Amino acid sequence: MSRVLVAMSGGVYSSVAAALLVDEGHDVVGVTMKTFCYSGTPSHGKTCCGLDGITDARRVADALGIPHYVFDVEEDFTRDVIDDFVAEYARGRTPNPCVRCNSNTKFRDLLARGRLLGCDRIATGHYVRILDGRLARGVDASKDQSYFLWGLPASMLSRLLFPVGALTKAEVRARAHALELVTASKPESQEICFVPTGDYRDLLRSRLDDVHPALEPGEIVLADGTAVGRHDGFAGFPVGQRRGLGGGFAEPMYVLEIDPEMRRVVVGPREELLRDVVTVREVNWLGDPPAPGSRVQAQLRYRATAVDGVIRPVEDGLELRLDEPVAAVTPGQSAVLFDGDVVLGGGRIEGSVPAAAEARA
Amino acid sequence: MDPIYLDHAATTPLHPEVRAAMEPYLDAAFGNASSRHRWGRTARAGLDSARAEVAELLGARPSEIVFVRGGTESDNLALLGAWHAARAAGRAPAVAVSAVEHSAVIDAARHLAASAGATVESLGVDPDGSLDLARLAAVEGSEVIASVMWVNNETGLRLPVEEVVETVARRGGLVHTDAAQAVGKVPVSVADLPVDLLSATGHKINGPKGTGILFVRQGTPLHPLLHGGGQERALRPGTEDVAGAVGFATALRLAVEAREERAARWSAWRAELEASLLARLPCARENAGEGVRAPHAASLALPVRDGAALLMALDLEGIAASGGSACHSGADAASHVIAALYGADDDRATVRLSFGAGTTAAEVRRAGDVLVDLVGRLAEAA
Repeated sequence: MSRVLVAMSGGVYSSVAAALLVDEGHDVVGVTMKTFCYSGTPSHGKTCCGLDGITDARRVADALGIPHYVFDVEEDFTRDVIDDFVAEYARGRTPNPCVRCNSNTKFRDLLARGRLLGCDRIATGHYVRILDGRLARGVDASKDQSYFLWGLPASMLSRLLFPVGALTKAEVRARAHALELVTASKPESQEICFVPTGDYRDLLRSRLDDVHPALEPGEIVLADGTAVGRHDGFAGFPVGQRRGLGGGFAEPMYVLEIDPEMRRVVVGPREELLRDVVTVREVNWLGDPPAPGSRVQAQLRYRATAVDGVIRPVEDGLELRLDEPVAAVTPGQSAVLFDGDVVLGGGRIEGSVPAAAEARA
Repeated sequence: MDPIYLDHAATTPLHPEVRAAMEPYLDAAFGNASSRHRWGRTARAGLDSARAEVAELLGARPSEIVFVRGGTESDNLALLGAWHAARAAGRAPAVAVSAVEHSAVIDAARHLAASAGATVESLGVDPDGSLDLARLAAVEGSEVIASVMWVNNETGLRLPVEEVVETVARRGGLVHTDAAQAVGKVPVSVADLPVDLLSATGHKINGPKGTGILFVRQGTPLHPLLHGGGQERALRPGTEDVAGAVGFATALRLAVEAREERAARWSAWRAELEASLLARLPCARENAGEGVRAPHAASLALPVRDGAALLMALDLEGIAASGGSACHSGADAASHVIAALYGADDDRATVRLSFGAGTTAAEVRRAGDVLVDLVGRLAEAA
C-alpha cells in the first residue's frame, strides 16, 4: 500500500482519521503542524493545535504504531495567516484564519513535505468527503467543515483523503473509544488556534506595537451619520452583533458595518441588516467554473444554512444574487458555493447591499 | 532491514556491565548513604568507591568530584556557582563562553546577564577549531569565568582548552569546560590540563541518564544551586543517588578502557564515510573537517534545504541521525553551532551521524548509501 501522510492536530477527528488509514493497511506517517508558539502563556486548557495537541497526537500515533513528526510552520503561518488576520481587523473586517491557513499554508506544506517523505497522499481529520474527485460535505451536515476548504488549489484534490467525512459524529467518537485513543473524550476545538486566551483582541494588542485603529474608541452612528454612542474599538463589533451597543433605542439595534477610516461602528434595526447582493473576491474554483448565471447554494458563515442564488462574474470576482435576503453578511468571511453537497468553490466576502438600495441607485 | 542507530552523541544504551554494577544499589543496598547504620554504610561504601574511581580516571582527587544529576545541571552549577561565589566575595566577574557551547552553558550565561547584570562575552570559533583568544584576553575587569567545551557536541570539533587555561592564567579568573562529548572519546585528564571546573554526563558513555559529575578543583570557590541537607559537600544537596554514581563510575571506566581501540575504528569509518559521501555529493561539506575532531561524530552539510524533512526521511528508512543537537524538541531551529562556524546564511542541512560501542562498519556504509539516495530524492521532489 502507498504511504500516506496524516495531519494530526491532537483532536479526536484526526486521531480517528489516522486509525482508519492504519486499518486499511496504508503505510501511515503522522505529523503535527506547529503553527504558533504558546511560550509565555500559562496553561490555558486549549483543546487543539497547541503543544498539548502535539503531545496528544504523538501519544495517539504511538498507540497506532506509526511514526509521528512535528512540522514547524510557525514562520509561514505567522506571515500568511496571523499577519493577515491582524490586517483584516484593522480594515474593519472579520477574517476567517482557518480558511486562510488551509488555502495558503497547511495543505501546501503537507504536500511539499509529504513528497520529501515519499508520501503520495495527504489525509486530515476535516469533516468533509471527496466524491468522484470533487470536494463534498461530510455525511452529517451539522458537522460539515467544507466551509473551511474552498480555497484549496483544485489540483490538490486528487491527492487528499478525508477518512472521517463518511462517518457520523457518534461513529467517530465510538471508533476513538473502541481504540482507547487518549483523545476519545476530548472536546472539539471551537477556538482559533493562535488565540490562546479566546479573545482575539488580546492577540491584536500583542501583535501591534503602536496604537491600533481597531482598538481605539470611536463613535457609534446610525446609517445617516447620527451619533448614538461610543465604542471602545471597532474590532469588538462584528457585523450582526447586538451586544455592547448600549440601550435607549426604540427597537433592537445591530452592527451594520464598520467604517475603519472614521473609526465608526454603523448600527441599525434588523431590517437594515438584510442583504441580497453579495460581492465576492479572491474566488477559487475546485472544478470547472460554473457558467455565468448558474444557480448555486451559498453558505455565508460556518454552520449557516446554505441559501439559493445566482452567480455572475464581475471585475475582480463575482456577484452573488440571493433569492431571499439574509442577515449579517460579513466582509472578510467566506462565501462558499455548493451544488448540493459538492463544493463548487468560494471566495472572500467583500461587501453586500440590499437589492432595493441597488435598484434605487 | 534492521534499524541503525547512529545518534550516540545524543544518547547511548546502558552497558550491561553498568546495569549489573548498579543493581545491588537498587535492591539490597538501597540505604541512604548519609545514614550511620549498616544499610547507610553499605551505600556510603558504594558512593565512596564510585567517587574514587571517577577521580582516578580523570586525574582528580576524590574530594574534587561532585555527583550531580546530569550534564545540564553540571554546567549550570559551574557557571552560576562560580559567579555567585565571586559575587558573595564582592566581585562581579565577566563571563566568556565560546559561540559553539551547548545551550546549557550559553543559557546559563545569558541568565547571569539577565538576572545579575553579568557581562557576557561570546568567543568566536573558526571551522579549524581556533578560538578568539584575543577577545578572551581583552575581556574587561580583573577576573573572567571562561567556559569552553572540550569537544563540540554537534561537530566533534576539539576546542583549544589548553590555550584558554593559559590565557586565563595570565589575566586572572576560572576556566570551566564541558567535557560531555570528550570523555571516552579523547584522553581527558584534569592533571594534564589544569581547568578549574569540568562537567561530564553518564548517558553519553553508556551510563544511566540523569547522572553526571562536576569536577571542582580544590580551592575553587563555588556556591550551590540548591539548598538542603549538605550532601556532596553541600554543593549538591539531596539524598545521594548511589546507584547512579556507581553507574556513572562504571560507565566512565569502561569508556576510558575501550577508548583507544574504539577511536581507531571510528576514525577509520568516519574517514571512509566522509570520502564516499563527498565523492557522491559534490556540494556536501565536512563540518569542521579542517579542525582536530573527536572520532565518534561525522557532521555533514548536505545540498538539501529542508534538514528536518531529511531527518524524518532517514528515520522512515530506519536510520537514526540528528541535525545538530537533539535538544530542541519540536522546533526546527537552525543550529547556532553551524551558524557560528560558517555564518547564519548557510542554508544547507546538517546531518550528524555519531558512532557508539555497538556500531558496525556495515551500518555506517549502509547509512552513507541511504543518505546519498535520500539527498537525491529530496532534490528531485523539492
